[in-house]
Amino acid sequence: MLAYAPILPIPRRKPAFRLNLPMMPQAQELNALLGRVAAMRDRAAFASLFAHFAPRIKAYLLRLGAPPALAEDLAQEALLSLWRKAHLFDPAKASAATWLFTIARNLRIDAIRRERRPELDPEDFLPEPALGADDGLALADDEARLRAALKELPADQIQVVELSFFADKPHSEIAAQLDIPLGTVKSRLRLAMARLRRALDNKSSGDAT
Amino acid sequence: MSLHPAHHPSEELLLAYAGGGADEATSLIVATHLAYCAACRLQSRTMDALGGSLLQDLSPVPMAGGALDAALAKLDGIKPFERAARPVSRDGTPAVLRSYIGGDLADVRWRRVGPQLAYVPLLRRGAVAARLLRGVAGAETGPHRHGGLEYTLVLKGGFSDETGTYAPGDLQVMEGDARHNPIADPGGDCINLAVTTGPLKFERLVQKIVAPWFGF
Repeated sequence: MLAYAPILPIPRRKPAFRLNLPMMPQAQELNALLGRVAAMRDRAAFASLFAHFAPRIKAYLLRLGAPPALAEDLAQEALLSLWRKAHLFDPAKASAATWLFTIARNLRIDAIRRERRPELDPEDFLPEPALGADDGLALADDEARLRAALKELPADQIQVVELSFFADKPHSEIAAQLDIPLGTVKSRLRLAMARLRRALDNKSSGDAT
Repeated sequence: MSLHPAHHPSEELLLAYAGGGADEATSLIVATHLAYCAACRLQSRTMDALGGSLLQDLSPVPMAGGALDAALAKLDGIKPFERAARPVSRDGTPAVLRSYIGGDLADVRWRRVGPQLAYVPLLRRGAVAARLLRGVAGAETGPHRHGGLEYTLVLKGGFSDETGTYAPGDLQVMEGDARHNPIADPGGDCINLAVTTGPLKFERLVQKIVAPWFGF
């Protein structure tokens, strides 16, 4: 038997608004499902997370050039990792999608590139300033803002941002692939990051008023 | 480690680390900088969230029939992950770096290169190498240019060169024809983590001859 302290079920908040993809669960709902897996080994919650994330992780690995059979296996492995590590998920630090992304990224570096992924150890530094109780909500909100801002980036900026995540290449090779100077790749990335940060900052200034 | 480094990785470098396109040695030096730098940790977290957003927006590719059932069948056999207990560092060496050194900085078995300098290789993949470097106070690396990129992260002490002064947590990036001659600051040993993506091009004849022997 697994010895898990009973934790109150995480209340499902009704999302304030829907993104333009009506069938897609909101970040808040995905976080809650993950919370249920962590707290009570809820298999139905796992099945919902599997249905949502496995096909996206498979798509991610295919974009990175993994053969279909390997993409399928690694997507499966990523979701089993979710089951194994759900208790480590901290909704104040990342959304469920972000957490799954880091799991999938590290799995593919390990399996496809056969390298280790050097990661910051959480015990390496003093804890960040205490986060507010609503931080999980704020983060889910950030994710919605980031996705909205991403859709508004100019095509040449979104292209280099996507390649930073979906091409297993350093920026010098991305520049060669696009046949543009490395400096152009860098300046497009900086412009994109400035816009995305502005989208996130607008929220905090808005909250202050 | 509540330091406030003055020299940081560029946004592109943090993005390459978040996206996973950076090689292992480069990722190691970025991750070690993060252990020193709250500002870059925050940036890095936003960039991971960008990865999460991109993942959410990918068009799903259906899994094979029976994939969910196969996963559900395995769940009961999976034990929750437990972090392995790790020895506590005695000298504040970041854990990510400890895993490559095999211990603390204090445990490193240095290989001497002359009376002032020592090094130890940590990782090499093709032309990309990560190593620790140690210089006694006042030690000079010798003027050089670069066959690729050179990243230097100060772990202990400090050094200065034509571009500025570097203290623990600071990351210096040098490239190609940029020339510099780092000199360890007075007051004690300077220990750096260095990553190069190509050979260093030394100017002094003896260094030109000796450097390749040591893999520089």
